[in-house]
Amino acid sequence: MKLAVILLACAAAAGAASGESILIHNADVYPVVGAPMKGVSVLIQDGKIADIGAKIVAGKGVRVVEAKGLRVYPGMLDSGTELGLSEISAVRVTVDTGELGEFMPQLKAIVAVNPDSEHFGVVRVNGITSVMTFPSSGGGGGGGGGRFGGGERQMISGEAALIHTDGWTWEDMEINRSAAMHLIFPAIAGRGGRGGGNPDFGPQLISTTAGGTYTQARRTYEEQIAKLTDFFDDARKYQKARAANLPGFVRDLKFEAMLPVLDRKVPVAVSASRPSAIHDAIAFAEKQNIRIVVLQPHELGSAAAELKARNIPVILGRVLALPETEDSPYDEAFTLPLEAYKAGVKFAFGTFDNEFVRNLPYQAATAVAFGLPYDEALKAITINPAEIWGAGDKIGSVEKGKLADLMVTDGDPLEIQTQVKHLYIRGKEVPLTNKQTRLYEKYSSRQ
Amino acid sequence: MTRKLITGLLFVCASAGAQSSPAVAIVNAKIVRVSGPALARGTVVVRNGLIEAVGENVAVPADAWVVAGEGLTVYPGLIDPLSTVGIEGAPNAAATAGRGGRGAATPATPAAPAAAPAAAVERARGPEDRPSTTSWLLAADELQPTDRRIETVRSAGYTTTATFPTRGIFAGQGSLIDLSSGEKAGDMVVVTALGQYISLSRGGGFGGGFPSALMGMIAYVRQIYLDAAHYQLVKDAYAKDPRGMERPAYDRALEGVLASKRILFPANRLVEIDRMLRFAAELKQPVVIYGGRETYRPEAVEVLKKAGAPVLVSMRWPEAPRDPNPEDTDSLRVLEQRDKAPGAPALLEKAGVHFALYTDGLEQPRDIQRAVKKAIDAGLSREDAVRALTLSPAEIYGVADRMGSIDKGKIANLLVTKGEIFDDRTSIQMIFVDGRKYTPATDSTGGGRGMTTNPPGGIQ
Repeated sequence: MKLAVILLACAAAAGAASGESILIHNADVYPVVGAPMKGVSVLIQDGKIADIGAKIVAGKGVRVVEAKGLRVYPGMLDSGTELGLSEISAVRVTVDTGELGEFMPQLKAIVAVNPDSEHFGVVRVNGITSVMTFPSSGGGGGGGGGRFGGGERQMISGEAALIHTDGWTWEDMEINRSAAMHLIFPAIAGRGGRGGGNPDFGPQLISTTAGGTYTQARRTYEEQIAKLTDFFDDARKYQKARAANLPGFVRDLKFEAMLPVLDRKVPVAVSASRPSAIHDAIAFAEKQNIRIVVLQPHELGSAAAELKARNIPVILGRVLALPETEDSPYDEAFTLPLEAYKAGVKFAFGTFDNEFVRNLPYQAATAVAFGLPYDEALKAITINPAEIWGAGDKIGSVEKGKLADLMVTDGDPLEIQTQVKHLYIRGKEVPLTNKQTRLYEKYSSRQ
Repeated sequence: MTRKLITGLLFVCASAGAQSSPAVAIVNAKIVRVSGPALARGTVVVRNGLIEAVGENVAVPADAWVVAGEGLTVYPGLIDPLSTVGIEGAPNAAATAGRGGRGAATPATPAAPAAAPAAAVERARGPEDRPSTTSWLLAADELQPTDRRIETVRSAGYTTTATFPTRGIFAGQGSLIDLSSGEKAGDMVVVTALGQYISLSRGGGFGGGFPSALMGMIAYVRQIYLDAAHYQLVKDAYAKDPRGMERPAYDRALEGVLASKRILFPANRLVEIDRMLRFAAELKQPVVIYGGRETYRPEAVEVLKKAGAPVLVSMRWPEAPRDPNPEDTDSLRVLEQRDKAPGAPALLEKAGVHFALYTDGLEQPRDIQRAVKKAIDAGLSREDAVRALTLSPAEIYGVADRMGSIDKGKIANLLVTKGEIFDDRTSIQMIFVDGRKYTPATDSTGGGRGMTTNPPGGIQ
């Protein structure tokens, strides 16, 4: 009896994981990192995948979930969201994405995450168990930033966090609170582009149309780059001063937050849409000796080889999108993942729009329809992003020892008809209800 | 006879040649009459602002001041069929006060009558508020002889412009003016009312009320014409017998529309041209299309020909932007327009569509010369180009009986060049407006580009 109490206490101490042990019995397991296994069971203990095998016997106190004919996949990961930071993008008081100021690396998105956001429930139903949530320029409740006008151009908006889509508190939800530093790289506006995606993620473009010429825009661009370089240089000086620990050294949170970036521990997520912008971002990264992840490229073109050569991953955000210009091929956006794959660039998908995070699997599905190998598409929403965001050892596949972020489906998750039957986040079964299902129940019961 | 000669001489002396004289004879010049074959060696006699005689064997009046025309070519003065020259500050909102110290010198013509009534309407809710409408305006009433653009375009060979108010949906009526340096604006006016200028762009400065979308604007124009027809009916009935009848309210917006004998509709793209032609037919109004950028398309030519409507083609040919982002590529549609637009006049000519060329804000002589040259290079014959800038605009506005060609009895608006017009090396020697001689100003700087017509069709 005493022993049991101690064991329970231990289980509770092992993170906030659910103490329940679950055996998903007799399912087809698609681990993503290996070949599918038919008719095997998955044992979940202490929030982790304790075992996978055909002959696992449910011990005492293990709840058995009969899963004959069902499939087990790792939960999906969306690499571009503002989940938990922004509820209704048009309603100012529900938006808490960022702070004013040009360089704000000391901001941490994770502490602003609202675990009660309705968005989490919606995305869970489609099997999304974790997301990258990015801070972005201004917009916050009090200040009135970029999104609601009044904010100045922002370059570093803070640290993006990798979080679970379930938890009582943001501490519960954390996977990696310092998954990336969000850098909004300066860029010159092009003509005739459709843009697309969430403007929060895109660079604040330097206009060439509003009375200015390209030459002027170019000058502004170079000024911005110089400013950015200055900031990194200052951070390096700070790093040296800190190491020297001279008397009179004053801690500065901004530069303190930059240290892991300078040490290449935390990658910088850089928005860059055109090949030239990607090229510039890569050049900047080389010069500053930092790691980068490119967000939302609209085309790769000549930059693909550079990305491959330096092992720089990209997050593809524009898959379910219209062509960029009127003469672009209709499938321009659909074939971008294939292009990245062929070039050998590591990539993952991101929806970059809170309202459409649930469509993450269909981004991958569209890419498959336009030539991307199926397995690669699945990887791009599971193991690839987990690795890109520094959590490849914790999530992203069905492997022994990993966190039990699993979805149990009745079919291929890239198919739109497929239903998620069970969802586990850190081993806890999460009810597949949300605002929409509650409304459904409410109005179904009306006499 | 002797007396005449003396008076003639006196006049010549008094005015020191720069000003008009009772008679001027340009002899032994090549004369491009436009209305007929060119005369290789002919004489034009100008007196009292009119062409007294033209021909190969014309006797030079004894009192005439003779211009030796060897090596010179005489053309009719150019006519710009759509312009704002003469209305200062027309390109932008006139409401933002006069520029520089010039304001004091201008006559008491209110600078912005167009904006005044609109300001009274806070925010139009519907057609009953007559939004963006100043249909009662006449360009002739707004004329300012001090507009320095008068000299600029005259130096490019223009002797006449059809000047229009251009603000709002029903902007008002244009007037045909001769670009003389008259003391009084009234002296410049040839025809007071040419027709109603209609634009379908969002009425800038009108406060964003109704109408703000293309469908709203078209519905508004349609409503105005319905109202105008009814207004006329009631007014006639009341004039006939007012007893027992409610007095019809005066509505100047409708008065302005009723007074307009033709409408100018904007249309650049094929779909717009087709739409506007159908609309004009529905309104039963004689129409002149302006813009005409896509008239290089055979379908556009066809609908214009079928409708028998004249078109004013903008000479502001689409051009590549200056200092573009090197990464930007132009769409095929844009490239096609850029490539083919200057070829439109040649196609229109070939198809027999009545057309004229307008400057669309080009003012500098060199810009205008280049623009015409582009159309010529794209297949328009030099003769047809001259016609599209002289007799054709006169015909479109029904004033071919007084200008547009070098014929006896017409207004003495002439252009005398050394070399063929629109050639790179051609220089304009003198310009006659209403018989008064002007020498072109040396390429004037400043001023920049003037008014462009509102993007026809508005929202696309």
